[in-house]
Amino acid sequence: MDSSAWGLLAYGAWTTAWISGISIAIGVLLGLIVALLRVARIPVVHQVLGTYISLARATPLVTLVLFIFLTAPTMGLDINRNVAGIIALTLNTTAFNAEIWRSAFNNFSPEQREAALAIGMTPWVYFRRIMLPQITITSLPGLVNEMSFLIKGSPAVAVIGVVDLARVTNRISAVTYEPLPPILAAAAMYMVMISLLVWLQRLAERKASRLAV
Amino acid sequence: MSNWEILWSSRDVFLQGFYNTLQLFGISAVLAFLLGSVMVFLLEGSRPRLKIPLRIFIDGMRMLPFLILAYLLYYGLPSVGIRMSAWYAGLTALVLYHGAYFAEILRGCRTTFPLGQVEAATAQGFSLPTMFLRIIWPQLILKTRGLMGNQLIILLKDTAFLVIITVRELTAAANSLSSTYFIPMEAFIVVIGFYWLISIGLEQFIKLIGRYGAKRGFENA
Amino acid sequence: MPETAAVSIRKLSKSFDGTEVLRDVSLEVQPGEVVSILGSSGSGKSTLLRCINWLEHPDRGDIHIAGDRIGVSDSGKLMSRRELAGMRARLGMVFQGFNLWPHLSVMRNVTEAPIHVQGLSKAEADERAMALLEKVGMVDKREQYPYTLSGGQKQRVAIARALAMQPKVMLFDEPTSALDPELVGEVLGVIKDLSKEGYTMVLVTHEMEFARAVSDQVVFLDKGIIIEKSHPSEFFVNPKTERVRRFLELEALVV
Repeated sequence: MDSSAWGLLAYGAWTTAWISGISIAIGVLLGLIVALLRVARIPVVHQVLGTYISLARATPLVTLVLFIFLTAPTMGLDINRNVAGIIALTLNTTAFNAEIWRSAFNNFSPEQREAALAIGMTPWVYFRRIMLPQITITSLPGLVNEMSFLIKGSPAVAVIGVVDLARVTNRISAVTYEPLPPILAAAAMYMVMISLLVWLQRLAERKASRLAV
Repeated sequence: MSNWEILWSSRDVFLQGFYNTLQLFGISAVLAFLLGSVMVFLLEGSRPRLKIPLRIFIDGMRMLPFLILAYLLYYGLPSVGIRMSAWYAGLTALVLYHGAYFAEILRGCRTTFPLGQVEAATAQGFSLPTMFLRIIWPQLILKTRGLMGNQLIILLKDTAFLVIITVRELTAAANSLSSTYFIPMEAFIVVIGFYWLISIGLEQFIKLIGRYGAKRGFENA
Repeated sequence: MPETAAVSIRKLSKSFDGTEVLRDVSLEVQPGEVVSILGSSGSGKSTLLRCINWLEHPDRGDIHIAGDRIGVSDSGKLMSRRELAGMRARLGMVFQGFNLWPHLSVMRNVTEAPIHVQGLSKAEADERAMALLEKVGMVDKREQYPYTLSGGQKQRVAIARALAMQPKVMLFDEPTSALDPELVGEVLGVIKDLSKEGYTMVLVTHEMEFARAVSDQVVFLDKGIIIEKSHPSEFFVNPKTERVRRFLELEALVV
């Protein structure tokens, strides 16, 4: 492979990184909101969100990406490939993150709430200062694990023509007629990204285990 | 004709895609599960010359996007003289990839077994393969059923990636119908419904195994 | 009436699912007084303590803390969360299970409420916390996290945390019941020091010798009713009721 091939690979890696990064950031936050709404058990909202989570977990990313990219214009929405990809990845990862957050909420000990109320905290201060920091720490290993799943699923955006790290290998081999080297190089670059997340997950697990008093 | 009528008239396309997806899913699920089980058996006992390459394979797969493996088999291997049809390349990718995940799930569970069980079996004169097959394997399946169920759903969803290497599965059916008649909304709603149906079916199946396990005291997945 | 009672409970009743756990309980705690609540398990003593800071809502009756009613505002409505939080800040509570916040260091457990409830600056809160950690003998562990501490150490931190809000009254809910026997002494020692400093305290406990030594008043609850209320010299030496006599005999056997 020549330097222009490496340049294309770097471009593809960057596309994968920023599209995944944005989806992860929105998905972690939206997941928390969905989980909070689910924990609150508001009628109708609870059922609607439950159905969303069940559907989103069962729908393949490729199918979801195509669905959003192809149906948006029929509803009068003009979105480009990158945005369609980000929406699909976000809808997918939010559902998984919501379940991770929710299980952390459900496993949280009620005794700490009593200690906080007894010392004069309002429920809001308790949520912000005592509950949320701990929920975040206990959810983190699961959230980071879901991040690596999202990166592994992100090549789905290739189906609508986004030139990410997976699709860029086609671009390169279309010129060089040697598909093996760019695919192996892309594989190695994915491995670097994922192993970084696996390492982060180990750190997060070590930190979370300290909360188990 | 309404959009739904158009879809109904081309139901054969859906059913063909549905059938292809189910076929790919069914075959690769069975083979991947067997591959995973064999790998865990090979990790049993002390065979360092096998252990290291197996660990590299399992961890390597788990750090790779599924599509990259499919690319490697379909686009990459022909340059070293191995040529497969898209369908076979896709099936092989599913089996290798998810075989590694199954192996990891089973291995993780295997490490939590008390040593005494193996010692009791050895003391009774079980050979290693018989012991694995009769004592360890059945317990592994019962204990890991929850994780296995999740992995099966991931496998099902990964079959959709194969549309990118031109396999005619369920998502490909929706894609071609929506571009032929320009009715993407309806076409994809039907297809997502199919995926949902299989997922719910899988979950029910796992619950059924759970009931079988619960009778024998295997409460937790 | 010499001065306003620190805690004044009047005709308090509370039921759980139709079972009455407290019936017409009345009790006055004067400033500087130490009151021990005794009784067998299920007698309602923990519920009584938890009603005082409204962690349980009584069905009938009222509770005043230093003259102000808790739980219900002057207009007769239930207190808002903010008003309730303000009342609770006047009461320090120590739990059987410590309930430290595991994501915060010892020091931050103590300063959390002074900073985020009372609005103290970090420097002020730190200064206050250092003095209290000194008092409970935990200064050298101030940067450690709860998971590294023994049960006795956790409970001493929990006491410092409650004291940090400068409460008018300290409530102890079986503070040594979850501790290994060899760790009970260090916690009781701290509580005893507090009693000498003139803190007003209400404690639910199973430690008879300790209750005898620190209390100004002992209250005995049986099936949700106060059946004896007297000075420890009277209570432990010359109980008025057969029920208390039997209770004390059984406790003596256990010890």
